[in-house]
Amino acid sequence: MMKRYECMERLGAQLAEELVILSLGGAVDEWYNAAPHMREGSLFQQQLGCVTGEALGLAIGLPHRRIVSLDTDGGLLFNLGILATLGNESPENLFVVVWDNESYQSIGGPKTHTASGRVNLAEIARGCGIEKAFVVDDLEDFERHCRAGLAAREPYVVVAKTDGILQPGISRKHSDGREDKYTFVRHVEKTEGISIMGPSEHN
Amino acid sequence: MKQEAVDAVITGLKQAGVEVVCYLPDSLLKELYPALDADPDIRTVQVTNEGEGAAICGGVFLSGRRAALIMENSGLRASVEHLARLGLGAGIPVIMIMSHRGDLGENNWWAIPHGITMEPILDALRTPYRIVKQTQEITQAIEDSYTWSYSAYHHSAVVLSGGIVR
Repeated sequence: MMKRYECMERLGAQLAEELVILSLGGAVDEWYNAAPHMREGSLFQQQLGCVTGEALGLAIGLPHRRIVSLDTDGGLLFNLGILATLGNESPENLFVVVWDNESYQSIGGPKTHTASGRVNLAEIARGCGIEKAFVVDDLEDFERHCRAGLAAREPYVVVAKTDGILQPGISRKHSDGREDKYTFVRHVEKTEGISIMGPSEHN
Repeated sequence: MKQEAVDAVITGLKQAGVEVVCYLPDSLLKELYPALDADPDIRTVQVTNEGEGAAICGGVFLSGRRAALIMENSGLRASVEHLARLGLGAGIPVIMIMSHRGDLGENNWWAIPHGITMEPILDALRTPYRIVKQTQEITQAIEDSYTWSYSAYHHSAVVLSGGIVR
């Protein structure tokens, strides 16, 4: 079983200019610590069922830029339909990682449907036409798939089987979703040379 | 939906700067969807439920482009969770254009809940809306919706009703 935090460190080491949307739960504080250089370029939103959808919208809006969705088993199961939409839209710049710890970790760890051993999110993705969809449970494999997924010209989904142990000793991100949105939007504005929020007609 | 109404919606979207439209097709706006698909200036994304469409529109907003979520008003019930998190939680706006199912005159029993629940849900989500029944009011309503949402950073809705959709 991989440690999610170690996976994040491996993925974070490959990122620089990308934009990241991430899910809720323990993964929020872990990503905040595992990839500190990506804090402004990561949208910390805690939006169950919205993560890969928001990432697709961002990928459509910024087709020249690589977008990374850090979803979870519980979050993706909340709206599996997004995989069908991804399959049909086939964005060339969207890499999806699903942290699959087979549990709803943020509320104490009740099992999700992937814990049964029957439900395979990568197979569901493949059934939606996403040919590059894999279940990974080895750290070296995970790193290799990240490299491939970040270079792919088609949707690429990695379901990372990880433990459900929150990395001990890490600091908490103490901002809320509204502040995090502004941080992210200002980063997009700066790096894209555009204006997204404001100014009003009369300041 | 008459051609003039279809044209008015598309004109309103373009005047508001919309480049991406997410939709889950419904019957009252059925003439609108192929027109949007055929428009070279608008990228359409068909979704599996309106909540997913709201999330995609939110992502488009974060890219600096403008999106619209087009749906039947029943879609509100499917998207409450997503709209609440995006709008009330983070201030990421989604502009909705929806058909008015279940208004007085409705002759389908299954559509009655759509009319009954629409306004209370919009109110619960603190989402202002304008019910439009005249084709000549569509374009302005869409423009006003974007102006408000990009000032408030919250959702707003234009409800196409009456003779526009019957």
